[in-house]
Amino acid sequence: MPAPAERPINVYRVHPLTLWAAAFLALVLQSFLPVMLPAAHLLDLPLLIVIYFSLMRRSKVFGTLFGASLGLAEDALTHGFLGMFGIASALVGYLGAWASIQFDLEQFLGRLTVTSALVLFHSLALAGLERVLVASPPAFQLLDLVSIVLLNSALAMILFQVLDRLRRPA
Amino acid sequence: MNRFADQVRQGAYISESRMVRDTLLEVRSPLTARPVPPRVPEGPQVVQAFISRHRPFFILLAVLMGQLLLLSVQVTRDQNVPLAKVWVISALAPVEHALRTTTDGIAGAWMAVGNLGQAGQAERELNARLTADEARIRELSAQSSENARLRVLLDFKTHSGYPTVAAEVIGSSPGENSNTVLIDKGTDAGLVADLPVLTPDGVAGKIVAVYPQSAQVLLITDPAAGAGVLLEQSRIQGVLKGAGRGLCRLDYVMNDNAVAPGDKVVTSGLDRVFPKGLPVGTVVKADNGNIYKNVVVQPAAALNRLEEVLVVMSKPAVAEQANARR
Repeated sequence: MPAPAERPINVYRVHPLTLWAAAFLALVLQSFLPVMLPAAHLLDLPLLIVIYFSLMRRSKVFGTLFGASLGLAEDALTHGFLGMFGIASALVGYLGAWASIQFDLEQFLGRLTVTSALVLFHSLALAGLERVLVASPPAFQLLDLVSIVLLNSALAMILFQVLDRLRRPA
Repeated sequence: MNRFADQVRQGAYISESRMVRDTLLEVRSPLTARPVPPRVPEGPQVVQAFISRHRPFFILLAVLMGQLLLLSVQVTRDQNVPLAKVWVISALAPVEHALRTTTDGIAGAWMAVGNLGQAGQAERELNARLTADEARIRELSAQSSENARLRVLLDFKTHSGYPTVAAEVIGSSPGENSNTVLIDKGTDAGLVADLPVLTPDGVAGKIVAVYPQSAQVLLITDPAAGAGVLLEQSRIQGVLKGAGRGLCRLDYVMNDNAVAPGDKVVTSGLDRVFPKGLPVGTVVKADNGNIYKNVVVQPAAALNRLEEVLVVMSKPAVAEQANARR
């Protein structure tokens, strides 16, 4: 997966309105979909949006701040403490931008691997924060973790194809 | 890999290295350039250069520290920061309410379209009539199903003896371990925090946050939820706590108490939130522990597919206010 040296490096941008509309829509659907389809609670659309834009922008600062913003908005939808999703998503945004510099993520396999790794990292970071902060944290379920990684990675590959159509070269 | 990384670093986006270089090196025109004795960077300059070089990392650290500070304030004071929640939920709730209305409309239209698709297969006119009738029947069937649900709610509302307000579930919380839902009634309908929320099958949870046109309900399966309960037959008391994954556990039941799978659990009224005698769930597992039994309870209400709920206006004055507003 290391990027070949002769490959031209593409840096993309999207209109800020597109960026924030995608983030808002992800939050709305994240809250609304599980009401209609209970299995949708395993999906994390705002996380996928953070991963996509941090990979696309290749900026650690942007990834960190965007991840923290969307994570805090997700925190606001829960009954839990503000900051748990914020910390996990900020780290994902930073690592996503770092990975976009290190690897060629225009390839399907590269994207899939990095996205899966970031989703896994996000779940583990959240579980770790719950262990530290919640009085009686829920038991760790390996099957849930595997389902979350597989489902979100599969959805990400579709979602990223759609979002690719909205970007333009910087 | 390193060459790829270098190429990106030299791009328009990642210009930190250029900034650092410009900061550290004094750029001079070749005409005016004179031999300059090498300057030894002083302490503050070295620190500044180091921070500039690793700016993204320090920004990440600052963001993480800020959020850890926010978390520590909430944990030590045992309170949430409501303002951010108010902003986010106030922004999302109207959209989710509109989405709910739209999806209900689309579901009805989809049935009609499905039937229209069948019309071309046989004789057009007869089939069209037949299809229209079928569509009507399906539509009526869907309405009937909704009516049945609402009738059960209405019956419960009439016979329960508690003043209640019906609400529709319009959203849920992200995260597999967080069990909260958003309903479409808030302070405008007279709702306040800590009011119990029910379904015709049993207790659903209680209101934990109220906004003008929506409210957040903590389901009894959430690890942060609790309720005073007793076993319907034996009258053994305990504390119901959320266990996640759609289940609850019954705490503080002594090992020598007889508890068996199938026992019904009802509210005891001792928590001053839930009225006494409401169905909560059924014991599905009961094992002996060190001192207390490990009892698992399956909630009576179908909490993973809530659509309509009833909020019990436990204070009559609050209920009257709500009715007057309606």
